[in-house]
Amino acid sequence: MEFYIRFADKTSAWVGRAFAWCIILMTFGVAYEVVVRYVFRNPTAWAFDISYMMYGSLFMMAGAYTLSRDGHVRADVFYRLWPVRVQAGVELVLYIIFFFPGVLALVFAGWKYAARSIRFQEVSVMSPAGVPIFQFKVIIVAAGVLLVIQGIAQVFRCILALRRGAWPARESDVEELETQLIKDADRSVLAHGSEAVDVVTPKDPPGSGR
Amino acid sequence: MTDPQVAILMLGSFIIIIMLGFPIAFTLMAMAVGFGYYAYFDVARQWRIYDRLVAGGEAGQLELWLEYFQGFLNNRIFDLLVNQTYGVMSNDVFTAVPLFLFMGYVVERANIVDRLFQTLQIAARRIPGSMAVAALVTCALFATATGIVGAVVTLMGLLAFPAMLNARYNTSFASGVICAGGTLGILIPPSIMLIVYAATSNVSIVRLYAGALLPGLLLAGLYVVYVVGRAWLQPSVAPKLTDEDVADVSIGRVIFLMITSFVPLAVLIFSVLGAILFGLATPSEAAAVGALGGLTLAVIYRALTWDRLRESVYLTVRTSAMVCWLFVGSWTFASVFSYLGGEHLVSDFVQGLNLTPLMFLIMAQLIIFLLGWPLEWSEIIIIFVPIFLPLLAVFDIDPLFFGILVALNLQTSFLTPPMAMSAYYLKGIAPPQVRLAQIFAGCMPFLAMVFVTMVVLYSFPNIVFWLPEQLYGR
Repeated sequence: MEFYIRFADKTSAWVGRAFAWCIILMTFGVAYEVVVRYVFRNPTAWAFDISYMMYGSLFMMAGAYTLSRDGHVRADVFYRLWPVRVQAGVELVLYIIFFFPGVLALVFAGWKYAARSIRFQEVSVMSPAGVPIFQFKVIIVAAGVLLVIQGIAQVFRCILALRRGAWPARESDVEELETQLIKDADRSVLAHGSEAVDVVTPKDPPGSGR
Repeated sequence: MTDPQVAILMLGSFIIIIMLGFPIAFTLMAMAVGFGYYAYFDVARQWRIYDRLVAGGEAGQLELWLEYFQGFLNNRIFDLLVNQTYGVMSNDVFTAVPLFLFMGYVVERANIVDRLFQTLQIAARRIPGSMAVAALVTCALFATATGIVGAVVTLMGLLAFPAMLNARYNTSFASGVICAGGTLGILIPPSIMLIVYAATSNVSIVRLYAGALLPGLLLAGLYVVYVVGRAWLQPSVAPKLTDEDVADVSIGRVIFLMITSFVPLAVLIFSVLGAILFGLATPSEAAAVGALGGLTLAVIYRALTWDRLRESVYLTVRTSAMVCWLFVGSWTFASVFSYLGGEHLVSDFVQGLNLTPLMFLIMAQLIIFLLGWPLEWSEIIIIFVPIFLPLLAVFDIDPLFFGILVALNLQTSFLTPPMAMSAYYLKGIAPPQVRLAQIFAGCMPFLAMVFVTMVVLYSFPNIVFWLPEQLYGR
């Protein structure tokens, strides 16, 4: 079980982070469009399509990564007052009722949708360049499958917590420096908020790393 | 049960279930699929092919069974779910969300905030409560540039908060300044919250930005007035600084410090905002250029390391995923809700109350304020504000004006217990003797300032409308 949890966390994190780099491509792509439009009066035909595809893929594929870090918004006002076993029990039931139906629906319906698009070799209608978008629709299925994999890991976590009375340790991005400054208890509250938890020490001398 | 009653059941059970603390995005999705399956259930349509096979009489037993099961999956809710998901994925307003986040996380890491705070502190040293004023202005500027509340509150909490405590400032007073100042980032444009509101309400994002600018500055101004006033009337909360606390420096030095810290950030903000407001670039384009500007600043301040870039990228993707998955769930949920007729029921109910527009406005804002105690801006704007939006036309309230009031109101959601992100961020990094209750107490006067601003805006709506009308006409 723990092996599977680690496997799922790693997979989600790896894919999520790989797609995270789309933001760099997107930044440069969009900025390039602005430059060629204003400086060379020669706008591109593809930048718009690229920008929403990058955005769509990065957030969809990071859904499971965010889930593995417990980063989706939750109204945990009452939740955090409960003992661990109650938390785990409630969460286990809710995962089965409120997670898998939606996500599985996304996978299967997404598959039908993407398959049709692949058959037509669909291209974007937003711009004259005819950028293909069928691969973009496959993202829906891929994101759904990742969420299913990660969802099973979350269920295992609940089962372990039910058995042991303590939550199994969560893999954290050590390099993101979360743990060093914010205590664990405070962090779990922050994790459920509207932003990824983020702490930077102000006077890090450049290049020193941590 | 009639369909609208089912819709109310759907909304009611949703509220109960999210209070159990399950990730909201997936709750929305699953409930939309469940209730949608009921709403779109159509025997004739789902088993059309099966019926045809039976009528044809030539199909084998296995084929019939397969087609029969297929029938269960032919429900239109599945098409709706995928279409809404794809709608979120290819929405051109949302493309600005990750770009602004990325810009924020990069600027945050550009080592700029400590310089800014030192500079402003020196520049403001003659004013009562000078350190609090400097902290507030730094917060406001930095919050405008990053738009990330956690970033501002933690950085300023590590930097300005200990400095204020050392200067024997009152703990509550100092924490209120940091929390309230940091929260300004979601109001003063370019802010992500307004993008999200624009996408929910179909108000032009450019008009919203123009409309939010003056109210945002007004609120920041009121904060400063409060801080100076309190420090002047009650010097014990913010004792005058001694020469040890702030070095006396020449005017030339101050100007130099300003040019190296204040000016670059201000230029970045004004160019991004200016490009959007004057229609030179779409918000996404401005954000992309802003992110490049942030990277450049980081290079100039020699703060751009591989680690920091990677951190920014990962944090960006996690926050984007969180906001946008919420949309995936809520768009589907909202379609099912209105298909069932829930929207009409709510609208009929509210109209039956015979409210005046003012009473409706107060009621709506009060509900949003109360929701802000346990919830946060993202859930409120994406899930609950859409319930009020169709009613605005009935009461003849401009959705732009309503949006600005909501944005102001949601400042409080960061400051009110039990879910107050600003307060928790500060608590997380503050010295252990600072209690959460002290932080909340410090936030209260700033809440009052938010309400004062809302009343002022209601009395003088032109503060909102003046700039958009100047720029784009009516």
